[in-house]
Amino acid sequence: MPKKVPVRLRVNGEEHELHLPPQRILLDVLREELNLTGTKRGCDLGTCGCCTVLVDGEPRLSCLMLAKLAEGHQLTTVEGISPAGALHPVQRAFIDLGATQCGFCTPGFIVTAVAFLRDHPGATRDEISRALSGNLCRCTGYVKILDAVEAAARTLAPAQER
Amino acid sequence: MAGTSSRKSGSAGTPRPSSAETDLVKEAEATRASSGYHLIGKRTPLIDAALKVTGRAEYTDDIKRPGMLVGRLLKSVHPHARIRSIDVEEARRLPGVAAVLTGDRYPTPFGVLPMTHDETALAVGRVRFLGEHVAAVAAVDEETCERAFELIRVEYEPLPVYDDPKVSREPVPVKIHDRALRDTNLQKEVFQHFGDVPKALEGASQKVKLSGKYLGVTHGFTEPHCTIAEHTPDGRLTVWSATQVPHYLHRSLSEVLGMPMHRIRVVKPEVGGGFGGKSDPFPHEIACAALAIETGRPVKVLFDREDVFYLNHGRHPTQNDVTVGVDGDGKFLAMDIDALLDGGAWSSFGVVTTYYNGVLAMGPYRFDNFRYHGARAYTNHPPSGAMRAHGGTNMRYTVESVVDEIAARMGFDPIELRLQNFLPPNFKTINEFRITSNSVRQCILAARDRSGWEEKFRKLPYGRGIGVACGFYISGSNSPIHFTPVFPQCTVHLKADMDAGVTIHCGAADIGQGSKTVLAQVVAEVLGIRMDRCRVAPVDSDTAPVDLGSYSSRVTFMMGNAAKAAAENLKVPLLQAASELLEVPPDRLEASEERIHVKGRPSQGVPFHEALHKAMETKGALVASGAYSTKPLGGTFKGAKAGTAPAYSFSAYVAQVDVDLETGFVHVENVWAAFDCGRPLNPLAVEGQIEGSIHMGLGQLLSEGLSYRGARLMNPSLLDYKILTPMQMPKVECLLVGEDDPEGPFGAKEAGEGPLVAALPAVGNAIYDAIGVRLMDLPITPDKVLRALEEQRKKGGAVRPPAPTRPSERTPTHGGR
Amino acid sequence: MHLDAFDLHQPTSVEEALALAQRHAGKFDFLAGGTDLIPNYKMHLNVRPHLISLDHVAELRSFRPEAGWLGATVRLRNLEGSSTLIRRYPGIAEAAEEIATPLVRASGTVGGNLLVETRCFFFNQSYPWRQALGFCLKADGDQCHVVPQKTRCYATFSGDLAPALMVLDAHAEIAGPGGRRRVAVADLYDPKGDGVRRTKLGPGELLVGVQIPPGAEHLKAKYSKLRVRPSFDFPELGVAVALEEKGGKVARLEIALGGLETYPRLMKAQTAPLVGEPLTEERVKALSEDLVKAVRPVHNTFLAPDYRRKMTGVFVRRAIGALRSGS
Repeated sequence: MPKKVPVRLRVNGEEHELHLPPQRILLDVLREELNLTGTKRGCDLGTCGCCTVLVDGEPRLSCLMLAKLAEGHQLTTVEGISPAGALHPVQRAFIDLGATQCGFCTPGFIVTAVAFLRDHPGATRDEISRALSGNLCRCTGYVKILDAVEAAARTLAPAQER
Repeated sequence: MAGTSSRKSGSAGTPRPSSAETDLVKEAEATRASSGYHLIGKRTPLIDAALKVTGRAEYTDDIKRPGMLVGRLLKSVHPHARIRSIDVEEARRLPGVAAVLTGDRYPTPFGVLPMTHDETALAVGRVRFLGEHVAAVAAVDEETCERAFELIRVEYEPLPVYDDPKVSREPVPVKIHDRALRDTNLQKEVFQHFGDVPKALEGASQKVKLSGKYLGVTHGFTEPHCTIAEHTPDGRLTVWSATQVPHYLHRSLSEVLGMPMHRIRVVKPEVGGGFGGKSDPFPHEIACAALAIETGRPVKVLFDREDVFYLNHGRHPTQNDVTVGVDGDGKFLAMDIDALLDGGAWSSFGVVTTYYNGVLAMGPYRFDNFRYHGARAYTNHPPSGAMRAHGGTNMRYTVESVVDEIAARMGFDPIELRLQNFLPPNFKTINEFRITSNSVRQCILAARDRSGWEEKFRKLPYGRGIGVACGFYISGSNSPIHFTPVFPQCTVHLKADMDAGVTIHCGAADIGQGSKTVLAQVVAEVLGIRMDRCRVAPVDSDTAPVDLGSYSSRVTFMMGNAAKAAAENLKVPLLQAASELLEVPPDRLEASEERIHVKGRPSQGVPFHEALHKAMETKGALVASGAYSTKPLGGTFKGAKAGTAPAYSFSAYVAQVDVDLETGFVHVENVWAAFDCGRPLNPLAVEGQIEGSIHMGLGQLLSEGLSYRGARLMNPSLLDYKILTPMQMPKVECLLVGEDDPEGPFGAKEAGEGPLVAALPAVGNAIYDAIGVRLMDLPITPDKVLRALEEQRKKGGAVRPPAPTRPSERTPTHGGR
Repeated sequence: MHLDAFDLHQPTSVEEALALAQRHAGKFDFLAGGTDLIPNYKMHLNVRPHLISLDHVAELRSFRPEAGWLGATVRLRNLEGSSTLIRRYPGIAEAAEEIATPLVRASGTVGGNLLVETRCFFFNQSYPWRQALGFCLKADGDQCHVVPQKTRCYATFSGDLAPALMVLDAHAEIAGPGGRRRVAVADLYDPKGDGVRRTKLGPGELLVGVQIPPGAEHLKAKYSKLRVRPSFDFPELGVAVALEEKGGKVARLEIALGGLETYPRLMKAQTAPLVGEPLTEERVKALSEDLVKAVRPVHNTFLAPDYRRKMTGVFVRRAIGALRSGS
């Protein structure tokens, strides 16, 4: 039997007590143990950004993180980005401006963009594209993704000078 | 936001119409707006977007079935070898292993095209590329599968490895497949000749020949392939798979597993991108089903990224020579093409690819003499197949480079040269394509006017340049892949019930392009109701009528027409019921604003749901069906059906680049993308297709390529296979100038693949304008640009090409057709 | 993709980490951000049965840019986001900002980038891929496929921070069974090694952090990186330059190169003769030509070796030009 260790994760505000082999990867645990399948597996090697989650508010690649080492941190997945029944302005803008096509990269982009705009509410298009440069999208050519994040930036920082 | 279909990306864009009095884009929009549709042509967010942005959309890998096992496939370690023996006994005994299968269990060959079945679920007696699957294991987890792999003993007898299609063309000692032509490893050869090419070239005053070389590229969708299969005690097999064509999978499962189709159910969950890479029925899908049958338990096969690269079925590595002869006035006389395609180990769509590389080459130009020799070779590379703008991309780059070169040598402005040679609308080409709507003229003029072409062409400082190229692509293949039994290209079923909602069943696969949204738009438009009344049922072979799938850019055109017909049929009983309620004859009624009412007078009517409930009194839920079949098209010569389509898209792109003369890096600054998709049903989605196509095209042009050393793929990862990042995208301006197509739904044509083809040569021609060097070896990586610049300097210094010398008058934006 | 089973250790001090390292000598890896190690483990590259996570070792997280101290597990993202660092050591901030992607930098660490595994087409591949090839000298085999022979590995050093630190004469602080020692970052790497073992760190030693010496903040410094895409990609070439001019003459000039060979190199032999000389255009040109001659990249990255050599000259000229023009 593989050795297991207790792993206590706090995801989207909920505590989970698990028993897992220490080599289990956070992405696998989110998807397979916690059924949080919004976080996607695109490459498993940190080269696509589909598996991005927030760790204490910072976007991180869950495919490169041991679940055990996520203990003691606040984890947020795409499912926890907005309260039930509501949408974050970034999500709203993704819908309205056509920023999602196949949708497989979308959770990673949403999570990354939400964190970035929280810290950089008045961000320019160039700054946004740099911030999203760890996320690959094959459908949109990024144009409408950047449109959406730019629009959300304006929603989030109406008073800020741009 | 609404109501405009010309938008620039990037807040810093500088649209500058050079002729203020005319704006083709605005005119096209005004014409369309006058038709008064309430949904068609509106910028419409995709109906599944809310699920996707919240992580709620369900993809195959998100599905869990009770007791599900993990299926994994053992890869071949030889590119070409006979399998002397496979011993799986020890692996079978490993605790946690539920089943181990090898190729002899289901050896029936299959493939997407009925005439070239040369794939098997698992290798049978022979492996033909590194990464081909030789055994399938179902076990409790991935670790156990991998331990089982270590216990499987495969004895290989290596065979000669073929990694060069030029070698495959010659007589070979060992054929990769018995069905290869003659004593070679050629899979398919096409010869076509119309008119008299040698004679026409002899009489030409200028002949230009260019040779293009293209690495293979792959689709690069973000969702790796995934399949789940479950064989239940009632004798039914259910397969969930990330597929673009559930119907071909359905057929292949039946053929290979020997199970009648009615006992098999194929479900397509959300698909994380396809681009052609999920359009073949695949061995792993069948192997997964076989494991489920064997174990009696659900089995999931999920690919890792490396597996995706091996399955490939991407764009063919290609070498092509294109010669065009013109007369002294710049009229195109003849085109002569030779193309050699590296098909890899299997046929896939190869027969189609081989035709398309020739037959799609002439459009959008008129030629009276055309000759094509195309050959597709088997090699021991992972299989090539269909990828977005299948067969139309590599050849288009060479053709558009040749046209640019002719203009340069003869002193023409390349836009004027093209304007002289375009196919007119409503025309039959030399190879008997029926051209109907064609706005390529408006495309090139719109791109010219918006890009500021005349102030820039041959006038930017050395190192910066602007280029133009045109595109042409089928709007759905006229000939279905399967001819028997005869059935429509697409069928849509509708059900309207007590809840006053309309359920739409259709087998067409939404793979992110937005076809579900188009379905809802079309049905709601015809019925005069809000879109949220329409719900598009998941694609499930038990309930959805057969559709031929999402490829050959066929969905909007064919599904749109079928949906329109179905909605018109559903409307008949609604009008009848309203007629009874209103005591007005049905032919004086219409549906709009959620009501059935007297034409032009919404107040004199009944709400949609009242008419529906009245109609249901005796029949119950209303059901209706609509179908679309293409008319017979094309000539009678061999291969005449290839490339025939009920309509064609056209495009003209202008690109602007900045080349770093010391490093060779090409920075694409702008693309003005003028596209003729007829009437865009959803401009928001059409722009998304154009922008995504430009991203994919520039990737192939600048950095993507499957790199082999011998038969070994060196870059099977998203780190080493270089897809462009957000920081590399140019500013894109989409210019939608098409006129209504006479047969398309509401006048629409395709916008899924055609938008790709002009992107690459527009940039290539811009590089030529910038530095005077024509780069024909893709991808154009910085080291290649630098080498070309160095050679140019050796020959006498940095020169940009000469400005046009022909005293041609600028074609006015209007008139002069 | 899954990881082979291992024991995970989570020490809370350097001493505890060293004790664990001694106990599991030869059978462990230190784990910091994981952005290099985890992918390699997923591809079953040189995996060990014990991982010693450094996450809970507070000392290693110490980040004091005003004092020139960068702890080994300081996240790369913190470097690019630190206004003090950007002001005092712009070359380091530039190098940090160019590493991989923002998502990788959120996890990746200073120590991880300094000690990043060297890279090669024949090494950074899955187990089945390497198995089909018969493995290589660096993992599971004995043959180098880049320069066919059996004694030396030619994988390419692909860190970005090392050159930027080397030109500032930064020193690495190393803790080991015998106590602590400091060694110049330039001497952290072992050019005489076989390429598989690529640093002079002892088997049980741990990198604690990096000290940038006082005065380095007065140098003009720059890092530029050659790669095909402006994110994701490892360096095909990394050029760090530090320059101080006094009275129109070079007071100090250091150049370090990464992404070309198995080790990052401080190019003293080429830069030393310029000290005391005015930095004319001809001298810069000659210097860049000397550097091109001195480097020997091999064909195991995306861009061809001859191109990467040529670009060494271009990037050095451009970097010096940018430093002198203040851009």
